[in-house]
Amino acid sequence: MNQAIISFVRRARIGRNNDRHLGDLLGKVFHNMPEGLIAIANALPYMLKGSLVTVGVVIGAMGLGLILGIPLAVGLMFGPGWLRRILSLYVWFFRGVPLLVLLFLFYFGLFALMEINLSAFSAGTIVLGLISSAYQSQIFRGAISSLPQGQLKAARALGMSDSKAIVYIILPQALRLSIPAWSNEYSIILKDSAVTYALGVAEIMARAHFVASRTYQHLPLYLAAGLIYLVLTYMGTRLLRLLEDKVRIPGYSH
Amino acid sequence: MAIIDSSSVLKVENLRKSFGDKEILKGLSLSVRKGEVKVIIGPSGGGKSTLLQCINFLVVPDEGEVWLEGKKISHGKKRELYAYRQQVGMIFQDFNLFDHLNALENVQIGLVRVKKCDKAEARARALAELQRVGLAEHVLQYPAQLSGGQKQRVSIARALAMDPKVMLLDEPTSALDPELIGEVHAVIKDLVANGMTMLMATHQIGFASALADEIIFMEDGYIVEQGPPAKILLQAECARTREFCAKITKISGDS
Repeated sequence: MNQAIISFVRRARIGRNNDRHLGDLLGKVFHNMPEGLIAIANALPYMLKGSLVTVGVVIGAMGLGLILGIPLAVGLMFGPGWLRRILSLYVWFFRGVPLLVLLFLFYFGLFALMEINLSAFSAGTIVLGLISSAYQSQIFRGAISSLPQGQLKAARALGMSDSKAIVYIILPQALRLSIPAWSNEYSIILKDSAVTYALGVAEIMARAHFVASRTYQHLPLYLAAGLIYLVLTYMGTRLLRLLEDKVRIPGYSH
Repeated sequence: MAIIDSSSVLKVENLRKSFGDKEILKGLSLSVRKGEVKVIIGPSGGGKSTLLQCINFLVVPDEGEVWLEGKKISHGKKRELYAYRQQVGMIFQDFNLFDHLNALENVQIGLVRVKKCDKAEARARALAELQRVGLAEHVLQYPAQLSGGQKQRVSIARALAMDPKVMLLDEPTSALDPELIGEVHAVIKDLVANGMTMLMATHQIGFASALADEIIFMEDGYIVEQGPPAKILLQAECARTREFCAKITKISGDS
């Protein structure tokens, strides 16, 4: 009993200490706020230019992921056994190796070995796109297998070849179903794009770091960077929600 | 030696199909002449649906031959298979309308993508077929906005637009509410009156006997007995057929 009271008092004291720390911390932040705000204001145009680079990387990667992800999913669903095994290997590889490792592997390793001269921007976009294609293929695969079997049967019964049935019947429905998961994929790629900073891509994170290391205003600048990412996430998912509403099949509820 | 009956539109010889070690079709043969309506009855799980799906190779039979207008179908040759399927209209129990297309587009898509008709021609044909099944006012509605009976009528219009030589109907009214069965039966009756060749599985015994030239009783992967409705329903030779017909007539109370 006694011990319990002692430990309680001790904990309360620590709590009070923490409060004091927090007070000091807030004091420091507010004390430095004018400088911080000035730093943000100065760096903002430069950082916003970086957000264009980020958006470029994300759109490029999503696009590449889409273009590769659809045939990957179709191959995984309808392809012969040997093809399915090869494609699964591809998906396994790109989902299994960390992003940073893949970026270095391709940019400094593979592309250099193959004497392909790519900018950091292109290399980063391609690698993110390849990774995204692996994830997107799984999104589409899930959507395709959630469709009723009868859709493919009815298409075949009309005399459609399998490829026609996939293009005109299966994919238009599967892609609609994929939008919510796709919007998830968008927010993941957006955040992953910050890692391309390691290759020297002049995106938001790289620019925030560049300014911060010169002005020593780390806190406000990284806060600003975080805010820009939040806004971009919001805008992107919002746009995809609009798309989802636009292509919704009449008669189906949410 | 198969003797080819020149007047038979569809002919099936010795069809066999197993799923795993369960044999569903045990060597089935039948033929349908031009303008003839044959109705398959029998307990669920007896292979009716598998038989119909094997006939247009949606389910690939393990053995057996299918002939359309005296021509043997090699389902291994894709082009031949696709061409054959265009000539065989298929109606499914659960409609299988394309959910992302409205009624008009559902009927049109086969014409445009398979038969390569031009858009205007396909549209006119699709509208005519939808009108024929009484859906002129619903052409822009999507499957999710239609009742079951309307959906099945769209699927009939979709099959008709392809100008099939024979239609396979797999329990076309089994998934419908009782009050919606009539509208689909009316459409099918109209097709029969216009001379459509048909092979239909159904549990609607009254409907079957009014339409059919011949009723086929199928059970356990075999054809147990076949003959004109009056004979099968009232004076079947096989005891099992009599038993089944008596039961089903009592339950359905006729339609």
